[in-house]
Amino acid sequence: MELMREGSQAEGVHLSSPEVMNKIVEAEKGSRQMLDQTNKEISELKRDVPNKIASMRQDILQKATKRRESALAEAERTGVEEAKRIALESKKQLESISQIPSAKRRQAVDRAIELLLS
Amino acid sequence: MSDGLDRLVEDIVRESRTRAEEIRKNGLAQIEERLAGARAEATREADQITRNLRTECDAVVNRRVSQGKQKARLAYLTEKNNVLDGIMREVETKLVEFVRDDSRYRPFLLKSIVRGMEAVPSDRVKVALSESDLRRYRGSKLIEAALAGTHTPRTAVLSDEPVKTIGGAVVTSQDDKVRVDCTLEARLGLMKTQLLPEISRTLFAS
Repeated sequence: MELMREGSQAEGVHLSSPEVMNKIVEAEKGSRQMLDQTNKEISELKRDVPNKIASMRQDILQKATKRRESALAEAERTGVEEAKRIALESKKQLESISQIPSAKRRQAVDRAIELLLS
Repeated sequence: MSDGLDRLVEDIVRESRTRAEEIRKNGLAQIEERLAGARAEATREADQITRNLRTECDAVVNRRVSQGKQKARLAYLTEKNNVLDGIMREVETKLVEFVRDDSRYRPFLLKSIVRGMEAVPSDRVKVALSESDLRRYRGSKLIEAALAGTHTPRTAVLSDEPVKTIGGAVVTSQDDKVRVDCTLEARLGLMKTQLLPEISRTLFAS
């Protein structure tokens, strides 16, 4: 590359004159700059990868956490509703206990007295 | 010569463009690979959160339901106990009525005294009654009748000291070392564990 390039030799280009050398050096310089620029761009992109990963990770996990919280809140509501239904049923049961017919109460008292005095 | 040089320069530019493209492509591929790996890992973690969610939700519902059931059960038991306490109070009232009915009470009292005498391992015993029973049965040969009902011969005296009770008797040895409580309250206390299930069966069987 310094004095002549492969292929160019076939064309018979002699790279000895300063003008020619200049053009080649310029081209090489441009080429290096292009590669440097590309490497720089990629390096910058790579440097930003951890931030991107963190942000993406946070986004994905935040969504999952939100879904979890919403599902748990829904479960809490369901549980509370079910507990209310149980409380209502229990209330009916309590009412039935406190309204035991007096005949039955008498029967229970008599049975207790009978056992006690036997 | 100029064409050859231009081509040479073009070659250089093309080659470096290709190289730059390659670097960019490889670099982007590496970045994409890292991002894809991190995305997959985060997704796995998110899936894990979702996978456990069903169990967590079931646990939340079950916790609330079991709290509700426990509360209901407690309220039910409290109410049931209130009813049973009421019945026990009625039983005590009935016992007071029973004690007033001499024809029914005297045989019971006699049986209680006999039971007490037989439980005290002493030849000489004292029998204590309630204040009203003491007034009612003093000089009514109650002790003699009780002694006649015992299997072992002993001597017994009616104590002048009354005991606080609805009915029944307290029998003690002469030296006060052995005391047998045959009052209705003691019997009620002793039989409570037997009475309560029986009352419950009668009241809440259905």
